[in-house]
Amino acid sequence: MPGPHHSRRRLLGAGAALLVAGPTVLAGCAEPAPVAPEEPDPLEQPARRAESDSVLAQAVAQIAAEITSQAPGQTQPALVTAATALAADRMAHASTLRTELRRARPVTVPSNTAPSAPPTLAPPLAVADLPSARAALLQAVQAAQEEAAGLVMTLPSYRAALLASVAACCASHAAVLP
Amino acid sequence: MMRDVPVDALQAALATEHAAVWVYGLAGAFLPDELVGQLRQAAGAHQARRDATERTLIDAGAQPVPAEPGYLMPEPVTDAASALRLLIIAETDTAAAWRSVLERSPAEPIQRTAALDALTQAAVRATRWRAVAGITPLTVPFPGTP
Repeated sequence: MPGPHHSRRRLLGAGAALLVAGPTVLAGCAEPAPVAPEEPDPLEQPARRAESDSVLAQAVAQIAAEITSQAPGQTQPALVTAATALAADRMAHASTLRTELRRARPVTVPSNTAPSAPPTLAPPLAVADLPSARAALLQAVQAAQEEAAGLVMTLPSYRAALLASVAACCASHAAVLP
Repeated sequence: MMRDVPVDALQAALATEHAAVWVYGLAGAFLPDELVGQLRQAAGAHQARRDATERTLIDAGAQPVPAEPGYLMPEPVTDAASALRLLIIAETDTAAAWRSVLERSPAEPIQRTAALDALTQAAVRATRWRAVAGITPLTVPFPGTP
């Protein structure tokens, strides 16, 4: 991959991170937490990743749609469809993982760690090209698959099965990303 | 060697692998030549999974369930479209069976790795067949769940 692609991809990733920075910082878990009253729930990280992936995928869908509309000769609505579907699946993951988190620790999980609605999307990114947008998505789902698969090995069986489904879903998206 | 393995769940998974092998044999007759590679790869994966699962069960002191002589189809297979739908059903069934293995597995890494692998591959194959068949959405959020 040539240099420009790489830097744009990073830009896109950074933009998406900014989008979710609000709720994450509010939750107070962004820093290494010097004083932790108890171990964080191991589902916290995949839940947060699912939320941020969903926001990223929505942003990519929007960007891809804009790029496509600006260049009518260049048709790639497939990436819009794929990114939209990924956003929906990752949102479903986030919701189910949050439910399990609340079930496990009803008191210690404050409600503001679960943003009730995704942040509104004013596309903040200097428009990236389609290959960069695609690369950002692929990187995200592959990382999510890896994280979930790792947790399958250590968690209790109910949670292991849940994370296995998450990993399988992410692998499916990676396999057919246009 | 005896191990702590979820025998019943593994037997159920083996039964779906037997069925998948059978289904791939049937569906192959209805799919166009350009899909032969994808079909063979998938069929081979199911055969390998079936064999490995049989070995695991034997190692655990269980008698592996045999294949049925035939399987009841949810709909008659008459063309490529119905063959693809059947493949998707077979993959969906195997995904569910392997997820059940995980739900019943003690935290033994070998069992979990195999079950996670089988679930993931089944989900990916189902997705690829949906793409071939033009069925949307291509993915499901929680493969292996109803």
